[in-house]
Amino acid sequence: MVIYLTRRLLTMALTLLAISVLVFIIIQLPPGDYLSTYLAELESQGETLSAEKIEFLRAQYGLDKSLVEQYLVWAWGLVHGDLGYSFEYGLPVTDVVGDRLYLSLVLNFATIVFVYAVSFPIGVYSATHQYSWGDHGLTFIGFIGLATPNFLLALVLLYAANVAFGTSIGGLMDPEFIDQPWTVDKALSVLEHLWVPVIVIGTSGTAGMIRRLRANLLDELQKQYVVTARAKGLSESRLLIKYPLRMALNPFIADIGSLLPQIISGAVIVSAVMSLPTTGPMLLSALQSQDMYLAGSFLMFLGLLTVVGMFLSDVLLALLDPRIRLEGGIKR
Amino acid sequence: MKRRFLFAVLSVLLPQSVIAGGYSAAPGLQERVQSGELPAVDQRLPENPKRINFTANGLKPGRYGGNLRLLMGRSKDVRLMVVYGYARLIGYDRKLSLQPDIAERIDVKEGRIFTIRLRKGHKWSDGTPFTAEDFRYYWQDVALDKNLSPLGPPKIMRVNGRLPVFTVIDEQTVRYQWQQPNPFFLGALAGAAPLFIYRPARYLKKFHARYQDTDKLAAMVAKERRRNWVALHYSKDRQYAFDNPDLPTLQPWVATTRPPSERFVFKRNPYYFRVDQTGQQLPYIDQVTITIASPKLIPAKVGSGDADLQARSLQFKNYTFLKRGEKRGNFKVRRWVNAKGAQIALYPNLNVKDKGWRDMVRNADFRRALSLAINRHEINQVVFFGLASEGGNTVLPESPLYKKQYAEKYARFNIREANRMLDGIGLKDRNPEGIRRLPDGRPLQIIVETPGEDSEQADVLELIGDSWKKIGVELFIKPTRREILRSRVLSGQTVMSIFYGLDNGVPTADFAPKELVPTDETNLQWPRWGAYFSSNGQGGDAPDMPEILRMLGLYKDWSNATSADERTKIWQEMLSFYADQVFSIGLVAGVPQPVAVNNNLMNVPVKGIYNWDPGAHFGIYRPDTFWFRKGG
Repeated sequence: MVIYLTRRLLTMALTLLAISVLVFIIIQLPPGDYLSTYLAELESQGETLSAEKIEFLRAQYGLDKSLVEQYLVWAWGLVHGDLGYSFEYGLPVTDVVGDRLYLSLVLNFATIVFVYAVSFPIGVYSATHQYSWGDHGLTFIGFIGLATPNFLLALVLLYAANVAFGTSIGGLMDPEFIDQPWTVDKALSVLEHLWVPVIVIGTSGTAGMIRRLRANLLDELQKQYVVTARAKGLSESRLLIKYPLRMALNPFIADIGSLLPQIISGAVIVSAVMSLPTTGPMLLSALQSQDMYLAGSFLMFLGLLTVVGMFLSDVLLALLDPRIRLEGGIKR
Repeated sequence: MKRRFLFAVLSVLLPQSVIAGGYSAAPGLQERVQSGELPAVDQRLPENPKRINFTANGLKPGRYGGNLRLLMGRSKDVRLMVVYGYARLIGYDRKLSLQPDIAERIDVKEGRIFTIRLRKGHKWSDGTPFTAEDFRYYWQDVALDKNLSPLGPPKIMRVNGRLPVFTVIDEQTVRYQWQQPNPFFLGALAGAAPLFIYRPARYLKKFHARYQDTDKLAAMVAKERRRNWVALHYSKDRQYAFDNPDLPTLQPWVATTRPPSERFVFKRNPYYFRVDQTGQQLPYIDQVTITIASPKLIPAKVGSGDADLQARSLQFKNYTFLKRGEKRGNFKVRRWVNAKGAQIALYPNLNVKDKGWRDMVRNADFRRALSLAINRHEINQVVFFGLASEGGNTVLPESPLYKKQYAEKYARFNIREANRMLDGIGLKDRNPEGIRRLPDGRPLQIIVETPGEDSEQADVLELIGDSWKKIGVELFIKPTRREILRSRVLSGQTVMSIFYGLDNGVPTADFAPKELVPTDETNLQWPRWGAYFSSNGQGGDAPDMPEILRMLGLYKDWSNATSADERTKIWQEMLSFYADQVFSIGLVAGVPQPVAVNNNLMNVPVKGIYNWDPGAHFGIYRPDTFWFRKGG
C-alpha cells in the first residue's frame, strides 16, 4: 500500500508538470495575445490605441519575450507560490481572486448537499418501486432536469424570483452589501440569493446521480444474497440499508474526484449568466481575454484538484469496497 | 455632537444649500467645511467657474442628493465615468459645437497655434492647484521622457512628423505651436476617450525617477510588486482607466473603490468647477454606484428597476421587454438616436486576393446592382418593426452635412435595374439554377462573413439572400469572430463582410472625413490601402484605383483647408462621391437606442443622440446637471 501511494504521488507530480505545459500552450494557441483581445474590445467601444502604445504595453507586460521564457517565469513563480500578475485587472492574481474563492466554496458545497440530499431518497425510491407511477414520474422530472439548458432555467428562475419575492436579479447578494463587512443581514441576503444557482447548477447533477443510483441498486436487488436475506425473514428496510444500498454507494464516492474540481470551476456558464461573484465567470473572461497568468493559475488549480480528487476517491473506494483491490495481480 | 447640532441648525436656516461668496454647495459637504477638512465653497471653486446656461438648454435647476445607479458589464468599464463625467479642456455641447470647458479660453491662430488659458484658482479633487505646471509635467516629464514614452508623444501631437513648440506663458496659460495646421488637436481634447495633455504633477512626481529619491522609489516599486518605476508610474497614471482612487481628477465624481470589486462607488468632487445659473456647485447627485453584472443579465436587471440611467448593454431587441417593466421598475424607456451611419452595412473587400472577385467588386456597377437588389423596406419591417430609416451608409439627418440624396442613392429596391446593370458588365451567362457566372466560369456565389455578435445581422442576410437570388446572385453566411474577421479581410481572403456603418454619423465639417477614405487597416472595404496610409507607406499596398486616389486627394485638401466653408464643400463632395460609388452598402440607419431613465431623474433629454465620439454617450448632456426629484 505504501509503495502504491508513493508511486501514485510521483505520477501526480509528473501529471501536474505535464498539465502546466499543456495549460500554457493551450492558452497561447488562439492567434494573438492579451493585447489583441484588449484592442478588439477597446475598438468595439469606439476607442482606438495607437500602434506605439501597443508596442509599449507589450514590452511592459513582458509579452515581447519568447514563449519558453514566459513559461519558465510563470512556472518558477508557481513553485514559489507566486501566481503571477493579471493583465486585465492590473493586480497580482491572489488579490484578484480574493473573496471569490470562499463564495465559490459556499455555493458549491451547498450544491453538493442539494444533489446528495435530493438524489439519494429519489434514487432509492425509484429503484425499489421500479416501473411504478412514482418511478416514471420522478424519472420524467429527472430527464427534464437533464435536458433543460442550465442558463435558460437560470433566467426563468431569476425572473420568477424577482417578480414573486423581489429578489434582486443576479449576483449572490443585494448590491448594497457588496464589499461590506459580514453581518447577519448580509448572510441572509446571500441565503436569499443562493437557492436559485444551487437549484440550477444542481439539477443536471441530481438527475444523473438518480439514474446511476437507481441502476446500481437495481443490479444489486436481483442478486441471490438479497433473495436469501429476504427468505431468512429480514425486514425489507433493514435488508435494503444493510446490504444492497452499501454496494450501490460507489458512484457517490467515485464522484468526489470530479466534484472537487467543480468546486473551483463552479459551473462556469451558469455563474457567468447569473453574474455570480464566484470563480467561474472570472475563469471564463480570463480565457476569453487571454489573461494568461490568471487563467493559467485557475487551470493549474483545477488540475491539482482533479488529480487530488481522483487520488482521494481511489483510496476511499479501495478502503470501502472490498471488491476493489489494488494489487490484484501481484503475488507475495 | 456639538458640530452635528450646529449643522442641524444651519441646515434649518439654509434648507437647500450653503451659500458663500454668491456660490452654494451640497449640504453634505458643509459638515466637512465645519470640521476644517474642506475650505468654503468660494475657495474651492475657481475664480470664474464654468456656468452652465440652463434656460438655453431647457434644463431646470435642481436639488442636491441621491445615488445614481448604473450597470456595467465588466469592472474595466468604470472608465466610463470619465466618459459620462465629460469634463474636458474643450468639449462638445448639445449641438456638437466645441465650447471651452475646463479651459477658460482656447485661442487658435492659423489653425496651428493653440493658446490654452486655464481658470484661475481651479483645483484638483484633492485640493491642490491645477496650473500650467501640470501641462509642463505631462509634456516634458511624461510625453518626452525616454523611459515613460519610448516612442515619444502620441501621434496626434505630430503634424507631418513634427512636434509642437510648448511654452508656459504664465501660471494659467500654455501654448502649443505647430509649423502647420493641426485640425485634429481640439477634437482629440474633446473626445470621449480624450487626449490628456495634463497630469496631476504634484501626485505623480512621487513616482517619477527625476523627482523622487532613488531608494524611496525602489521601496515603492518593491512594495507594489512592479517591474520598475516606469511600470509603477504607468499604473498610477491612468486618468482614463479611472481605477486609482488616489489619483486626483477634474471629473464631477471621484473614484473611491479600489479594484477588484463588483460594485464601485464614486463620490462628488468637492472642487468641481461647474456651477448652475443660480451659482449652485455641480454635480447635483451625491454619488454614483456602478454594479457589475453580466451583459446578458443587464436588460433583465434594468427591467426590474435596478438602474437609474442605462443604455449600455441594452439593445433594440430588448425594447419590448423593457417597456413591459416600466411600471414595476419605476422607469421610462426612451428612444434615442443611435448615431452610427448605418446599423448594418455590407463591405465589399476591394483588396480581395482572388483576381476574378477583385475585378468584380472593384466595378462600381456591380456594387450598385447589389445595393439596388436589397429590399430595405422589408428588412426594416421584419427586423426593426419599421422604426429604422432605410438608406445607404452615410451621415444622418442630425448632421448639418446631411442631404437626402446621399441616403437614397442606389438604395431603392429595383430588381430590373439591378439585372440590367449586371447584364451590362458582361455577367449574362447563367448556370442551370439561374445563378450568374463570373467571367472565369465560377458561379456568382458570395460568402458574406459576419463578426457573429449580433443575431440581427444573420437575420438580415437571410432576407438579402432571397432578393439577390432574383438577380442571379447566391449568398452564403459565414459567422466568425470579430478579430478573425478583421485578419481575414486584411489578408484578402474575404470577399464581403457585414458590420456596422460609419462610426460617426453626425459629423460637422470640422470632423475629419477619415471614415470615407482608406486610413486604417481596420477599414473593411479597403484594409490594405488603409494599412498603407496609417503606416506612412511602410505596410499595406499603395492604392491603385483612380476613384480612391481622388478621395484621398480630397481628404488631403480637407486637412489643409483653413476655412469652414472650404471644409464643408470638401465634405459634400466626398459624401456624394462615396454614395455614388457605393463603397459600402448601407441597409438601415437610425435604429433607436433604448435608454432607461428613472422617473425621478430630471434633466435627461427625452430625445438624444447616443454616440461615442462625438457624444461620449451621456457626456454631452452633462450628467452633472441631472438630479433626483425626490428620494432617489
